[in-house]
Order: sequence, then C-alpha cells, then structure tokens
Amino acid sequence: MIYVVLFFLGFSLLLYVLLAGADFGAGIVELFSSKKNQLITKKTAYRVMGPVWEANHIWIIIMIVILWVGFPTFYNVLIISLHIPLTLMLLGITLRGVAFVFRHYDAYKDQSQILYDWMFKISSLFTPIFLGTVFGSLLSGEISLYSKESIQSFNVLYIQGWFNGFSILVGFFFAALCAFLSSILLIGESEVMHQKVYIKKALIATITVVLIGFITLTYGFINTVPFVTAFISNELSVLPVITSGFLLYPLWISIKRGMRIYSRFFAGLQVVLILLAAVSPIFPDLIFTTSTPISILENIAPDSTISVLGISLIIGGSIILPGLFHLLKSFKMIKILDR
Amino acid sequence: MENLDAARLQMAFTLIFHIVFACIGMVMPFFMVLSHRKWLKTRDPIYLTLTKSWQKGVAIFFVTGAVSGTALSFELGLLWPEFMKHAGPIIGMPFSLEGAAFFVEALALGFYLYGWGKINEQFHWFTGIIVGISGVLSGILVVSANGWMNAPSGFDYINGEFSNIDPIAALLNPAWFTQALHMTLAAFTATGFAVAGIHAYQIIKKRNVELHKKAFKIAITFGAIAAILQPLSGDLSAKDIAKRQPVKLAAMEAHYKTSKGAPLYIGGIVNTKTKEVNYKIAIPKALSFLAFGDFDAEVKGLNDFPEDEQPNVAIVHYAFQIMVGLGSMLMLVGVLFFFAKWRKKSWFSNSKFWWIFTLMAPVGFIALEAGWIVTEVGRQPWIIHNIMKTKDAVTPVPGIIFSFYTYVTVYLILAVAVTWLMARQIKALNNTQITAS
Repeated sequence: MIYVVLFFLGFSLLLYVLLAGADFGAGIVELFSSKKNQLITKKTAYRVMGPVWEANHIWIIIMIVILWVGFPTFYNVLIISLHIPLTLMLLGITLRGVAFVFRHYDAYKDQSQILYDWMFKISSLFTPIFLGTVFGSLLSGEISLYSKESIQSFNVLYIQGWFNGFSILVGFFFAALCAFLSSILLIGESEVMHQKVYIKKALIATITVVLIGFITLTYGFINTVPFVTAFISNELSVLPVITSGFLLYPLWISIKRGMRIYSRFFAGLQVVLILLAAVSPIFPDLIFTTSTPISILENIAPDSTISVLGISLIIGGSIILPGLFHLLKSFKMIKILDR
Repeated sequence: MENLDAARLQMAFTLIFHIVFACIGMVMPFFMVLSHRKWLKTRDPIYLTLTKSWQKGVAIFFVTGAVSGTALSFELGLLWPEFMKHAGPIIGMPFSLEGAAFFVEALALGFYLYGWGKINEQFHWFTGIIVGISGVLSGILVVSANGWMNAPSGFDYINGEFSNIDPIAALLNPAWFTQALHMTLAAFTATGFAVAGIHAYQIIKKRNVELHKKAFKIAITFGAIAAILQPLSGDLSAKDIAKRQPVKLAAMEAHYKTSKGAPLYIGGIVNTKTKEVNYKIAIPKALSFLAFGDFDAEVKGLNDFPEDEQPNVAIVHYAFQIMVGLGSMLMLVGVLFFFAKWRKKSWFSNSKFWWIFTLMAPVGFIALEAGWIVTEVGRQPWIIHNIMKTKDAVTPVPGIIFSFYTYVTVYLILAVAVTWLMARQIKALNNTQITAS
C-alpha cells in the first residue's frame, strides 16, 4: 500500500508542476511581454485555465496532506528547516490567488486592473522561484537538522539550508520551466495571428530552461553538491537527461507544425523526465542534509494509517480524475465547436 | 513576545479570516442553486440576474477561501510541527477526505461557473448542488479533525508514544457530530443573516427593490431556520462538553466551585484573582439542568482542576456569553421573519423592519467567531486534550512574531480589498437593467 501512496504523491507532484506550473508560467510570460501581448496573454490564459484554475492549485494541498499523514518525519524536517521559504511561497500563493480573483471577477474594469495585473505578474514570478528553491534546498545538502540539543545559530538552521546558490538556481530553473510549459500551452490556444509571439516565447523559455539547468549542474559540480555528484554519475539520471535533450527536436517540430497535442505531450514528457532524473538516483533519500540524508521511507506512518490513506486516495482519485478529465474535455470541446 | 504566543496569535488570526471565507463559500452555493432553480421554473429574469450575481460572490469567496486554506494547511505544520508529527498519521483520514471533497467542489464549480449555455441546463444546475454538498462535507471533515483535538481517540497513548492507530475511530471521534452540527448550522445562520442584511440595506436604499427582496427571502429563509435550530444543537454540545471536557464547561460558565444544583450565570465580570463573578444574573440550578438534564446534578468547578490545566477563564466566559447572547437574538429575529411572512405581510413595506435585518448582517459572524474562541481557547493549555500541551507543539523556529505581523498585514489588506470588491459587485448589480432574455 505504501507504493500506492507514493504513487499518488509523485502523481500529485507531477500534476501540480504541469498544471499549476503552466498557470504560474502564464503570469511570467505576461510579465515579459509587450503591453499589447500582455492583454492577449491575460485573456487567452484565462479562457484556457479559468474553469480548472482552482483545481490546478489543489494538487499542492493533496501533496502536503499525503506528506504529513504518511511521512510525518520527512514532513517535520521540511516544515521546520524550510519555514522561511515556505512562508514566502505561501504569501506568493495568497497574493496571486487574490490578484487572480480581482483581475477576473471585479465588476468594473478600470484603472485598478493595473494594480491587479502587477500583483499577479510579480507573484507569478516569485511564487515558483520560492517553490523551486524549496525543491532545491532538499537536494542542496545545506540543511542542518534541528534537534532539541542543537546549539547552532539561526542562520545555520533556518537560512543556509535554502539561501544558497544551488537552491536559488533550482528556484530560477523551476520558474523558467513554468514559463516553458505555459508558452507551449498558449501557442495552441491563441488566435493564429498571435501564435508567432508564443512560438518565440517558447523558444526563449526552452533556451532559458536548458541554460539555467546547465548552470545549476555546473555550479553544483564545482561546489561538490552531493546531489549533483550523485546525479551525474548515475545512469538513472543521465539517461533521462540525454533522452530529454533528444526529445527537444520532436518537440520543436511539433510546435512549428502547430500540432497542439504532440507539442503538449512532448513538453509534459520533458517535465516527467526532469522529475525522474532528479528523484530516481537518490530515492528514497529525498532530503540531503549536512549530515546523513533523510529517507522518505524513514519512520513512515503505521500500516493502519497507510492503508486508510491509500484507500482514500484510490477512492478520491477515482472520483476526481474522471471529473477533472471531463471538465478539461468539456471546455476543450466547446472551444473547438465555438470556432 | 514569546514564540508560543506569537504562533497562537497567528493561528487565531488566520483562522478567524479563513472561517469567514470558508463559511460563505460553503453556504452561498445553496442560495445560488435555489435562485437558479427558481429561474429554471419561472423563467423570471430577475432570478437569472440574481443567480449570476451570487455566483460571482461564490467564486470570489471560494478562491479567497482556497488560498487562505492552502496557507492554513501549511501553517498547521509551520507553527505546530510536533503536533503534526504525531497527530498527522492519526487524523489523516478527515484531512485526506477533505482534500478530495474540496477537489470535487473545485471541479463542480468549474462546471458551474463556465457552464452557462454550454452544458445541459439540468446538469448545469446539478453541478451547483455538488458545489454546495461537497463544500459542506469539507467543512464537516475539517471540524471532525478539530473534534479529535478536543476528544482524542483512535490510538493508545503509552509512555508518550502513540500506538495502535485507528484512523477511522479518530475520524469518528466522540466530538465530531456535535461540533459539526453546531458549526454547519452556525455557517448557515451567519451567512444567511449576512447576505440577507446586505440585501435588506439595498431595499432601504430603494435600489432594484424587487430583486433584493427575492434575494433577501432566499437568504433569510436559510439563516432563520438554522438560527432557530441552533439552540437544540447548542444543548447537545453543552451536554457533550459537560461529560468530556468539564474544565471547558466550567470556564465557559466561570463556574469555580464544584456544586450540586449549580446556577447559570448570565453576563458578569470575572475576577480571576478572587475567583468570583461579579455583577452577574444567576439563574438557580439552571447550569446543572443544562449540562446534565437534572436540576440537582453536580457540576465540577474550576477549583477542582490544577491551575496549569485551566484555560483563560475570562476570555472563554465572555466569548461564550457573546455567542449565546447574539445567537439567541438571531433566533428571535428569525422568528420575527416567519411571523411577518405568515401573519404581518404589511411589515415588509416598513423600513424599520428592514433596518433590523440590516443591523443583523455582521451579528451571525461575530457569534460564530466567539464560538470558535470558546472551543479553541477553552481547550488550552492542550493542543490534544489531556495528551499534548500547545507549548510542546510549537515550532522551534524563532521570530514567529515577524511572520505574524506579515500575515496580519496581508490579511487586513485582503479583508479591505474583498469588501471593496463585493461593494463594487453590488453597485454593478444595481446598475444592471434586467430584461427578459
């Protein structure tokens, strides 16, 4: 049953990165657009994501609940050591959610939209940076574990773990990945005359992702971040990375030929490969610390809890996933019929 | 300020906000679908305009509730890591089910908000029902988790270790039913009166009177029925607490000395030094009767409990008085509505009548918040009743006070902004010309 639970954890993570990532990315794309394109992006992104907006962002709650119910020790380390970036991320999520409501539900469309838009764009950039930083921190090997007897300073316990080059680079990498996903999604949704804009954005985003990815690994290699050392010497991570490199080619072909389904599939596949490359060489030791790594399987919840959690997830999943699929499908089909 | 106090303040502050958003997001869908039903039945365009305007309200509160809820799901761990470490696996059931219910709600809301004219009319309406039901289910599940903190069950606690964990027994803890019933009714009362009050004010101002009267009727019917039923649920809760958490009951009543045939105090000022209540009205034997259904039953007083296991008596007592006082007032106003409806139709054209309901708009929420203060402050010093103290659960991360200030700033801005947004919705609604479509 533990593997059912782990599957749902990974699955929620993947869906969160894909769906919420594309949504964060829409704000980032908007931020780096000309005034005219900003408005187009705002409208297109809302048309695509409006109906599923709330659902996209619930995956993080599912993840956090699975973690605290099933993997309390792991969650405990995360929530104590990364208190500050998590709080910053939450502020970003809050501001962004509010800005989303305001820009789309305000009864009057007037000057105040300018404020909402800025709030939305800025929080769209910072939230994934902090989220990525949290992911990066787990791998950075800079986290010093708190214990009742620890005499380490505030700086060592609560700052260094995340405020380090590697973690922050992963933060930027994640933000770029969001922009990448979003621009590819938007190509298929925008009017034909605007598609060129998003193709260009997708190209820039892809280059940025590859570039930051490369810089992050190089930085990690030079500074002997243990995760990176494990990463580059393990075929489980090298293989997906090489595959993802090769798959950039079909991705580009499908984008250029305007093949919506294929381009999205290949973009999603990139994310799957990246997550696979990051997790598989180190699993189950998902937190690197200054001392021994923390395994996600360490001190997991008792069997009774794991079974109940697994069953709840299966039941919940069998209601939610068809619903989500139906929702995506209904509005997609309607859109095609509209044209 | 100590970290513990800062963490408690932050938790209280964020919950106080989240509860308002969550209740409105949970109850308003019912108003919306009722109005929607009336539109489908009568094809009166006023109902369509009303439904669409309420659905915007639902959307706004749902999103703000969802983001403040996301923040809370993290805050539980960020502020109380020791609690989550031990309690997480035990109370995982309500939280994971709540996650699922919330997800269903979000999906149904997606269908509802964007389904106008695009999906089958009846199915579209039905998705609105799903929004309401899954919202209430989420609420009940979260309250069940809170119930567990008051009535921990589903595990053995030996030498500081939790073992033999039974997540289903934890979900169905002894407190879940009374708390969930009381909270659901409270949510309907508070939201019903708040929405009715806003529309009543519009009627006084003679804006789109016909629409606001229809809106008022729907909202107040829910609010009044819930308010009239609430005392029954309150009685169940009191009897339950008398058995399970006698110290909380004693604090609610500021009842210091254990006695048989204990009197019920109304109002009064608690003097925690002399352990007396001054300037109160005492109803002889009433407390014994309310708590145990027997005028001569023994009610345990605060003096029977060690000082360090008592909550802040003054806060709990005052909050309880506020809750009961305001709740009773709403019940009477609810009765007034039905009386007017059945016997005195002429009152509906009297502006004094509408002023009463306008003034009631915030009252339900004040009572609801006071009720949560009773149950949460009344549980102190325990985070898990008789098992783990709040001070042992707090995060070791220093400087929580800064996090508290940040949250206060953000949430205050949020509150002002959401209020402003709602005001603009109402203004826009009043400026719409309703035409038959």
